Amino acid sequence: MSFLKFIIKNPFRRKNSAVLAIVGICIGIIVIVALGGITTGLVSTFEDTIHAGGADFSISGKETGTSAYGTNTIDANWTDKIANVSGVSEAYPIYVILTSVGDDYMNTLIGIDPNGTTMADIVVSDGRIFKNNSSEVILGKIYAEDNNLSVGDKLKVDGEDFDVVGIIETGDSNMAGAVFTSIEKVAEVNDDSDSISNIYVKVDKGADAQEVADRIDSMYGDNITTVSSVMEMGQMADMLNMLKASSWGISLLAIVVGGLGIINTMLMSVFERTREIGVLKAVGWSNRKILTMIVGESLVITIVSAIIGSIIGVALCTLLAPMMGLNPLFTIDTFVQAFGIAIIVGIIGGLYPAIKAIKLPPTEALRYE
Amino acid sequence: MSNIVEINNLVKSYENGHIKALNGIDLTIKEGEFVSIIGPSGSGKSTLLNMLGALDLPDSGSINVAGYDLLSNKKLNEFRAQKIGFVFQLHNLIPNLSVVENIEIPMFTSKLSNDEMRKRALDLLDIVGLKDKASQKPSKLSGGERQRVAIARALANNPSIILADEPTGSLDSKTSTKILKQLIDLHKTQNVTLIIVTHDMDVAKLADRTIEVLDGKLVNAGENSLLENKINVD
Repeated sequence: MSFLKFIIKNPFRRKNSAVLAIVGICIGIIVIVALGGITTGLVSTFEDTIHAGGADFSISGKETGTSAYGTNTIDANWTDKIANVSGVSEAYPIYVILTSVGDDYMNTLIGIDPNGTTMADIVVSDGRIFKNNSSEVILGKIYAEDNNLSVGDKLKVDGEDFDVVGIIETGDSNMAGAVFTSIEKVAEVNDDSDSISNIYVKVDKGADAQEVADRIDSMYGDNITTVSSVMEMGQMADMLNMLKASSWGISLLAIVVGGLGIINTMLMSVFERTREIGVLKAVGWSNRKILTMIVGESLVITIVSAIIGSIIGVALCTLLAPMMGLNPLFTIDTFVQAFGIAIIVGIIGGLYPAIKAIKLPPTEALRYE
Repeated sequence: MSNIVEINNLVKSYENGHIKALNGIDLTIKEGEFVSIIGPSGSGKSTLLNMLGALDLPDSGSINVAGYDLLSNKKLNEFRAQKIGFVFQLHNLIPNLSVVENIEIPMFTSKLSNDEMRKRALDLLDIVGLKDKASQKPSKLSGGERQRVAIARALANNPSIILADEPTGSLDSKTSTKILKQLIDLHKTQNVTLIIVTHDMDVAKLADRTIEVLDGKLVNAGENSLLENKINVD
């Protein structure tokens, strides 16, 4: 039998002790994994909520002024540049012009990418969104009501007939009175395909919107400017940081509770074997070899426990958390944390009593009951 | 024959010097000799045996065993692994290991391969007549069988000396005779020095020489002093 095989098999020879040790360590791992999953889920849900729908901030030309959507334009190439900035998840252009719509000599026509409508908080309440580069429009609810239009009707935009394919609801009165179509169509109407008005930007999940905005300002601040969204970004970041700090606090508690359980289990397990350690010394094992065996066995036990504990933790959390209205999320970090803690405290828990045991003269260890 | 044990003025105290377990022991033992150490409980005979096996160290004096100066040598585990085979009164087998694994345990300190270790352990079990019990746990064996496994374990690394502390102390007389016969056979066939601690005079009489310890001192280290009373276990 090789020494490695001996170390791997040895913990499971004492079935009762092994089961008790695994149960003890598993409880610690379950606590770490379950609380980790719940707190990660809380943070994620919060981030989803604050990032849902609307963009984190928008970008406009340096000289945009105070116009609602900005009648000044920026080069359409800025969209790709902004999309490539670190921390930016999505960047969609918006093109706002004033043109003749229906019976109105001047009305707001907004061009937007159909995929970016959620960034502008556009929710279709009736019909569907328009297709790219098609003669289709969707109408703000106020515009539709004022002009008695509904899905299926025709609407003249700059002299061309467009199909009304949807009606949107929005809390923004400017948008509620506007007509929407694709960027390409607005460019065609305005006879300028190189320009856009603004860019809506959404940052990566977990990224700090203020930091990303500052980064864009520092890179391109001479040409463009960032405008924060409805919710103050600083306030959002504070709330997120607070939640993350709470999450860390809970994780730390889980680590302390779980870690103490693991150390206690390993202490009991090694003290029980003091006499065996005396025998090993008597037959000539070095202190280093005995330490290697005990620490190796601790690692075997803690790794097995970490695997079982992680599976049980995920299963319990997935079953029970939704009943409490929680939505757990398990990331690799949670498991790395659980395994890391298990291994570290497993080594400490095994090392401490092993050092005590090997310091005993063999004659005393052999007398140990 | 050369001396395998040389002890001069060995002193060992416990409890801050209040209990003198060994009080100036001088002793030499020749290579291949069979020596019994007798004395009443608490006389210091087991302490002396522990000193010989480097399980404990003296306070003063000198002790040289199998070429190792045990007071100055730092590699006492190496000494125990290569030179000494212990047989304890309560066998001290590891209960969760099989019989053959218990015998392999000392060989983890050697350079033998896994296969060589297993072969040697089975050969030793064959010598003590327990090859058929190789895969059993010690708890399934009788007291005598466990002690035979302990003897096989003591021989695992071809030691120069076997130190046996009351090896028959917990056995009935019939089993005791068997165990002693086995130890003496091994002592003769393998030319290993055998030192037995006992308080049983019948066991002591089997030795080439009997040393008597009383209050931490040798009161009788006479050569073959009890030989005329030697009993026959053949």
